[in-house]
Amino acid sequence: MDFIKKQFGKIKDLFHFNSKKEVVDFIIKLFFLISTIVSASFIVIIIVFITKEGIKPFVTDNGGIGSVNLVRFLTGTTWLEGTAFKSNLYSVGFIIINTLYISLLSLLIAMPIGVLTALFIAKIAPKRLSEILRTVIELLAAIPSIVYGLFGSGIILVFVYNLAKVFGVQSPGGNSVLATVLVLALMILPTITALSEVAIRSVEKDIEHGSLALGATKTQTNFKVVLTSAKSGIFSASILGIGRALGEATAVSLVAGNARSGPTLSFFQTTSTLTSTMLQGLKETTGIDYDIRFSVGIVLMVVILLTNAGLNFVKKRIGNVHVK
Amino acid sequence: MKKLVLLFSLFLTGTLVACGGAQEWDSSSNITLYTRDTSSGTRAGFMSGIGFDEAAEDDSLLADGFVIKDNTGILTSMATDEYGIGYISLASLDNTVKGLQFDGVAPTIANVINNTYGLKRPFNYVTRSLDDFANDTERDITLAFIAFLQTTDGADIVTNEGAIPLSSSESWDDIKADYDICLQDNSAVTIKFGGSDSIEKIALALTAAFAPKCGNFVPEHDHTGSSDGFKRTQGSEKDGDNYKHVGFASRPFKDTEVGTEGTQGQLAWDAIVAIVHLNNEVTNVTPEDLKKIYRGDYATWEQLLS
Repeated sequence: MDFIKKQFGKIKDLFHFNSKKEVVDFIIKLFFLISTIVSASFIVIIIVFITKEGIKPFVTDNGGIGSVNLVRFLTGTTWLEGTAFKSNLYSVGFIIINTLYISLLSLLIAMPIGVLTALFIAKIAPKRLSEILRTVIELLAAIPSIVYGLFGSGIILVFVYNLAKVFGVQSPGGNSVLATVLVLALMILPTITALSEVAIRSVEKDIEHGSLALGATKTQTNFKVVLTSAKSGIFSASILGIGRALGEATAVSLVAGNARSGPTLSFFQTTSTLTSTMLQGLKETTGIDYDIRFSVGIVLMVVILLTNAGLNFVKKRIGNVHVK
Repeated sequence: MKKLVLLFSLFLTGTLVACGGAQEWDSSSNITLYTRDTSSGTRAGFMSGIGFDEAAEDDSLLADGFVIKDNTGILTSMATDEYGIGYISLASLDNTVKGLQFDGVAPTIANVINNTYGLKRPFNYVTRSLDDFANDTERDITLAFIAFLQTTDGADIVTNEGAIPLSSSESWDDIKADYDICLQDNSAVTIKFGGSDSIEKIALALTAAFAPKCGNFVPEHDHTGSSDGFKRTQGSEKDGDNYKHVGFASRPFKDTEVGTEGTQGQLAWDAIVAIVHLNNEVTNVTPEDLKKIYRGDYATWEQLLS
């Protein structure tokens, strides 16, 4: 106790504090500052680590294999030409296109369903029902991605395989763009629904009442007034949704088929995303084949940043109606 | 609301129809290839078994449109995909898929052990020459380890790791009386293991189980490839920095790799089986067939059957 008192005194003298209270206050503030620095520095550590590893294939000669050509890496249409561990001919160009294509398609499926569900929960459903539904959505959001992956490889692959047959197409066991899009749409649906619901609920009652008073029906009001007022929030929900779609690895690699060349635009053929490519064989590989996965990680981070920046730009252009 | 219900039921029926489409197996369909990724030991074993070694680590030699999955992924896919073909380790074969005969021999564990089933590779070991150990302790621990490989305890570990052990009848408890070395404290002794990286997992499991039974000697693993197995125990590098006490090779020893009497042997078989959907009409393949399928010379099942 004496020791602590002594230290208090020292700090008090050092910083010219007037009372013990101020010292305590200072220490607590310092504690908050340290936690902030710790949490914020992780992003720096991660970026530095990924960049350090990911840059290696381009700047070193990779143990005699030769350095990877950056332009070829960003534009090529085959993951690796030649024998693994002996070739430097890596490319992710087609995988970038695959990733964006798949994320966009899954957003196209998940967004209308999610927004309409949110509208139902927030405005139309009776109170009890909406509470139950909200819990269901929260549960869906909490399901880990590997479970979605297992569901996908057990149910969705079979469904897609048979669906392709109906269309007279032979799909490789259902491992395809469509299966990936369906799994991702399922995964981002709860995110979009939950956030859109918050946005819809925070639309001011006055706007709604005004619309109703002007003689618009409930449905007209919901679609033309509530949704347009909440569009900024709904857009934010989609941004988070597409972020999850771009970054999902486990579930995707179970249903995509992991194509090694592309891009794949046809619904029933195998595809691959940046994350599934990183994951494939990660635990068993070494050397350039390992380092190159970090380079793919850099590409993924850049793709996510650019997509988010683009969507945020669009969001600003759409404008905003005043909401609480 | 009525319309909604109608729409929903329409969708459901559509799905059911789509799922219940029981059609004849059509041999004019394209073959869908399933493969492990380039870092897989099963892939290396399969490709060398069908005479297509160069494709073990090179995806671009395979026919277009292949699907990359893991062992279980290929197994479950083959229960769905009527026109697919893949390969898995024999230990994981079950009756949800059809395991193809290889050169007319059915893929069973009995046929692997009696050496008639061809799509397999031996897991071999080689130790240093018995007069070439630094001291008797190291030699005796090595000999005890080799003896352990032949026991039922060793066989269980090999089975757990997905390979097929040779037949064994005695347990370690039956024979440990012959190995006094394991009664003393060996925690200061390091025994070095190396060679084939395909055997690394099995070797790690074996030493992890055996070290506590033999005075807690320290096993050191450095698996760099089959050719280093002999080279670093009895070959050109046996006295170098990378020397080993026990080396492994996931292939038969070559004529240039014949060691001194009693230092080489086999610990297990690694058997691989080509699998197809149960509806598939193919029952037997040759190594050439499989090579042609994986290289893309055969695009449809018709071409294989004709």
